[in-house]
Amino acid sequence: MSALLEVAQLRTHFLTRAGVVKAVEGVSFTLERGEILGLVGESGSGKSVTGFSLIGLVDPPGRIVSGSIRFDGQELVGLAPDRMRALRGKRIAMVFQDPAATLNPVLTIGAQMALAVQAHGGGSERAARDLAARTLTRVGIPDAAARLDAYPHEFSGGMRQRVAIATALLHGPELIIADEPTTALDVSIQAQILAEMKQLAKQSGTALIWISHDLATVSSLADRVLVMYAGRIVESGPVASVLRAPLHPYTRGLLDSLPAMARPGEKLNQIPGSTPSLLSLPPGCPFAPRCPRATDICRSDPPVVTQPGRMALCHHPLEMAAA
Amino acid sequence: MLGYIIQRLLQAALVMLAMSALVFVGVYAIGNPIDVLISPDATQDIREAAIRHYGLDLPLWQQYLAFLGRLLRGDLGTSFVLNIPVTDLVFSRLPATLELALASVLIGAFIGIPLGVYAGYRPESPLSRGIMAFSVLGFSVPTFWIGLILILTFAVNLDWLPAGDRGPTVEVLGVGWSFLTWEGLQFLLLPALNLSLFKLAMMIRLSRAGTREVMLSDTVKFARAAGLSELTILRRHVLRLISIPLVTVFGLEFGSTLAFAVVTETIFSWPGVGKLIIDSITSLDRPVMVGYLVLVAFLFVTINLVVDLTYALLDPRLRRGGRAA
Repeated sequence: MSALLEVAQLRTHFLTRAGVVKAVEGVSFTLERGEILGLVGESGSGKSVTGFSLIGLVDPPGRIVSGSIRFDGQELVGLAPDRMRALRGKRIAMVFQDPAATLNPVLTIGAQMALAVQAHGGGSERAARDLAARTLTRVGIPDAAARLDAYPHEFSGGMRQRVAIATALLHGPELIIADEPTTALDVSIQAQILAEMKQLAKQSGTALIWISHDLATVSSLADRVLVMYAGRIVESGPVASVLRAPLHPYTRGLLDSLPAMARPGEKLNQIPGSTPSLLSLPPGCPFAPRCPRATDICRSDPPVVTQPGRMALCHHPLEMAAA
Repeated sequence: MLGYIIQRLLQAALVMLAMSALVFVGVYAIGNPIDVLISPDATQDIREAAIRHYGLDLPLWQQYLAFLGRLLRGDLGTSFVLNIPVTDLVFSRLPATLELALASVLIGAFIGIPLGVYAGYRPESPLSRGIMAFSVLGFSVPTFWIGLILILTFAVNLDWLPAGDRGPTVEVLGVGWSFLTWEGLQFLLLPALNLSLFKLAMMIRLSRAGTREVMLSDTVKFARAAGLSELTILRRHVLRLISIPLVTVFGLEFGSTLAFAVVTETIFSWPGVGKLIIDSITSLDRPVMVGYLVLVAFLFVTINLVVDLTYALLDPRLRRGGRAA
């Protein structure tokens, strides 16, 4: 069986007045059925735009300028809007960061979920509400049938995100794209939702792309991780080996800035500088200006360094030097 | 919810009291109606008898209290000029204005909101630009001019619709209504269209601004991600989210049209209350002025109350004392 998702040389650009913002610049990866993939990067690294590109919801003035997204063998780039819509919610679903903003405050959650059910093949209002109630129970909302008539503001933040997740799960999609779904939640709720998402995905064989700026969250959840910087995937590989021995200096920097990785009492290492403007990227490696290992050669495009199951985009990868 | 309504009713009563005092004092300051009422060559005796008869010799506060006392019994006094109870006078004219105002606000809403939502949904399309240009026109061209042009076009040149007057009415609940017959509707159409132009422009602008904002929200993105069609998103999500400012303006416009449709009523010789207030001002018919203004204040207070209650219906977060998590 072929991979569920094959993304090749995806480029999503925003044509703004100030110039072309290359938010996603040549991203390639594959995703197996049931696999959990972590997509990590700082704000503006292009991770969210990658997610929106996959589901065909890039806001203008952004658009996919080239590349290919094959979902279960079907090409999604250039697919007719109607056929793309038929996939959305049915086979590919998405969960967003802030459940307070995603749920419609003036509709009952039953009504909202019923709309999502009826978007794919109608059925009666009653059947739609039944399915909604069953799915809410699956994500751990007690007394779900009675809660259908409640409004989003009557739920806590964690419960609201569960409602959003249930909405994504309604049609049993093969792929869920989760765009920082725990960032807006309390830490204790974060851990709960994380564990539940993992369990739900494993149970139903749903593949999950978990977009996050937080390497720690991803490490507890994902099978494989992609690290994005300035619209490119700079490193990818199985979570354990990437965390243990990162190839790219940027990944190293991300790891060093995690409090969990530091020794108590020691100052946290942060990456100097900030993400470059995507409007004026330096030639060659975009991370070079912030990189401790940068040399003159970094002004030319970095080569792809591969190890079994792993890849990095760097002139001076860390493990290579050690080896 | 009940506590909220009671609280709002008390507020409304206070507003009414303040308003009646303001109106009474304001109209009192305008001038002495006695100079208008009796001929200048009347004898001093007749003059004083008239002043006593209308209670104009009493101090202002006594006049006001007497007025309030009558008001509570639903009596707005008797017209100085026509010698008819003000209540009868106003209520004989009010249905015509009510009908006209409601028709114009409904036209504004039912045409304006879809146009505005479309313009907000596709802001760059030529049709949207046309809609917006039209709304600028609706704001800036004076009502009386539009009225005259409408008459010139549809009544004089094309001879499709009558140029003015109210035409035949049908009695329902003891009141005459135009909208129940085809012929009556023809009389109603032009003045209603004339009055609705401004409201149309307003509804277009408001619903466009609301739609543009809501279309960028995560709610719409999430609905799209769930595979909802664009039409369903607009009808079920966007319309509900933009409805609160629309209801506000609908209410306010309805109230102000009821009270001040004067220009249109004059142009189309529509026998409504606008004409009545203008006549009473020129003849310093104090009871009619005061009675009318108090009634208008009452209408505004009522409409605002209804609007506030509608908010609670539209936005569950405003239902105080409702179910809570």
